[in-house]
Amino acid sequence: MLNDGCTGLRAVNGDDAATNRAVTDLINILDTVQVPMVVVRRDLMIAGFNKAAADVLRLSPSDIGQASRDISVLAGLPRLEEQCSQVIVSGVESRADFRDGDRWFVTRIAPFKEGDSQIIGAVLTFTNVTAFRASIDQVIYEHECTKAILNTVADPLVVLSADQRIQSGNRAFYTLFFELASLRTKLKAMVADGEAFQAVEVEHLFPGEGQRTLILDARPLTLPGHPERRVLVTFQDITARKQAETVNDLRAIAEHKEELRRSEAFLVEAQRLSLTGSFYWRVPTDEITWSEQLYRIFGFDQGAPVTPELIGARVHPEDVPLLHDIIERARGAGTDIECEYRLQMPDGSVKYLHMVAHGTRDEDGRLEYIGAVQDVTARRLSEQALGKAQSELAHVTRATALSALTASIAHEVNQPLSGIITNASTCLRMLATDPPNVEGARETARRTIRDGNRACDVIARVRALFTKKESAIEALDLNEVAREVMALSLSDLQGNRVVLQSELARDLPAIIGDRIQLQQVILNLLRNASDAMVDVHDRLRQLLVRTEREDGDRVRVSVRDAGVGVDPQSMDKLLDAFYTTKTDGMGIGLSISRSIIERHGGRLWAEANDGPGATFSFSVPSGPASVPDAAPR
Amino acid sequence: MTDRRSLVSVVDDDESMRESLPDLLQLFGFAAESFSSAEAFLASDVVSETSCLLLDIAMPGMSGPDLQQELSRRRQKIPIVFITGLADESIRPRLLARGAVECLIKPFSEAALLDAVSAALCGHIPDR
Repeated sequence: MLNDGCTGLRAVNGDDAATNRAVTDLINILDTVQVPMVVVRRDLMIAGFNKAAADVLRLSPSDIGQASRDISVLAGLPRLEEQCSQVIVSGVESRADFRDGDRWFVTRIAPFKEGDSQIIGAVLTFTNVTAFRASIDQVIYEHECTKAILNTVADPLVVLSADQRIQSGNRAFYTLFFELASLRTKLKAMVADGEAFQAVEVEHLFPGEGQRTLILDARPLTLPGHPERRVLVTFQDITARKQAETVNDLRAIAEHKEELRRSEAFLVEAQRLSLTGSFYWRVPTDEITWSEQLYRIFGFDQGAPVTPELIGARVHPEDVPLLHDIIERARGAGTDIECEYRLQMPDGSVKYLHMVAHGTRDEDGRLEYIGAVQDVTARRLSEQALGKAQSELAHVTRATALSALTASIAHEVNQPLSGIITNASTCLRMLATDPPNVEGARETARRTIRDGNRACDVIARVRALFTKKESAIEALDLNEVAREVMALSLSDLQGNRVVLQSELARDLPAIIGDRIQLQQVILNLLRNASDAMVDVHDRLRQLLVRTEREDGDRVRVSVRDAGVGVDPQSMDKLLDAFYTTKTDGMGIGLSISRSIIERHGGRLWAEANDGPGATFSFSVPSGPASVPDAAPR
Repeated sequence: MTDRRSLVSVVDDDESMRESLPDLLQLFGFAAESFSSAEAFLASDVVSETSCLLLDIAMPGMSGPDLQQELSRRRQKIPIVFITGLADESIRPRLLARGAVECLIKPFSEAALLDAVSAALCGHIPDR
């Protein structure tokens, strides 16, 4: 067949034996090539073919010399004759795809030259590309699958080249395509330097779509055997999620608002109950904000603009300079404020306000105050009432103490009266002598007048005490009595910067006595102690009230001060009626106190301390034995 | 002492009494000395010569009753007439019970004074 196949060629050019041998050798070689080869003459007749052509294309020796168009197997190459003619004329090879049943071939049509000059025909070689075609089909199929998958992804995806040209994108990307300019720098850095790309959230208004929120992320794509860098950019549309979050946020905000509202309501109620209003004062602009309660306290309509003039209109005229001074100082210094002032309300009533404010500066250094104003009217009024009660108590107790004082008064009055009578008697007797001792009589008369004046002085000093009251006798806890007095005296003592301490015994037995009188005694001791420390500036003005149980069922109360102390020489006189070291006092206090304590079967004494100051103490018997006479003599 | 008259000593912290009583006592014919405190009297040289003591009760330092006790301790039996400005009647019986001749409540009349001093000098307690 092979030899047959070459017959035609030989027939054309059969000259000598050497040539024939060479051709035969060539055909032998070609027969070993598994690629089918067919030679066509210039007249497009089949000139020959190799063994592979016979096998694969099912050519038979009878086909030699037939026109190529008559070869059925070559019918799949409709332009074969035309292409062959062109190749033979032009000398330029041509190609054509060729299908034979399931098989695919690429047919190469090359010029066939005689020797190395004249083209005497064409050589057709058939390369089987069936497997290649199949793999391409597979690739196309998979590509289509991938494309379908990517197109079903709702989020846009796009692949960019290194110069950020769009290489490919899915349908969603083309649908939602938008300007990438804003991301160019970031993408560029990533593509150029392999920098990690941080996902960014992008808001974009899409025509017809409205505002969408996208998370844009990107990662480099390295394609095997592909030197070019590409970037896969993904866009995740989180608009819906965002909206859901917003709904959640709104819910959270609503809950927060509700909490805030409750807290505000709580604050408002707390302010209302505690009669405390709050304010905010921006100093440079005099912008003042008040809480509801503060409007109520000032008696202004809620929300009325607060101005210094408005406030000034309510402040009690006497306190205007005070408040003005405080405000001016606050304006300059920025220090905390604490003060009390009064309001004069339209109905004429007076309110007492206690204000505290804390000054801070904002980030721009502007001064602002946040403060609270409490209506302390009730407290002040009760303090005033307390003070009144205190002075009434003092008055009453002074009056009830009069009975105890009677002996002292009598003593003080009787002393000069006695002098008067004796001197008058002496005077008369001197005048009655013969001759009358006129000079002596004159002297005794002068003494009489002097003693009379002395009696008048005593009477004048006790004038205030001339009221008589019944005393009330009952079982008493001296701790309680002392505590009441300390409570009454506290403001007074604090006003004198006295530090009051107490050490009250736990197991104090009850005593029987007059509560008000004993309170008067303790009050008197406290006041004396406080007065004794007025000039103390170099140490703490400490005042210690102590109660303790003494041997023999007695109870002792002592009041220790850190004052100027007592002169040992005047110690004896201290407790005498009308003896006083104070220029403004009557000195009656300690005398009354001693009388009261003695009427309770006790005693009162003073001692100098080891350190500064003095201690005044009294002790009274506990239990029924101590009942003093209820009715003064 | 050359004075034959009986010596009446006055002990009182009240100056008015120290001035007026000796003058009156002298007009009655007694010798009189005055002291501002019990201590001053005890320190003087007239304790043993005193025939009658006019003694105040309430005084700074040693009181009248304290002096009475001290004299008793010293076995100085001086008749004592207490004079006091304390209008406390309850004190009188107690003082008399402890040996005082009289207790005069200030202000007292010259007659009451004379009676008491006379009683003291006569060594008997007058009827009351």
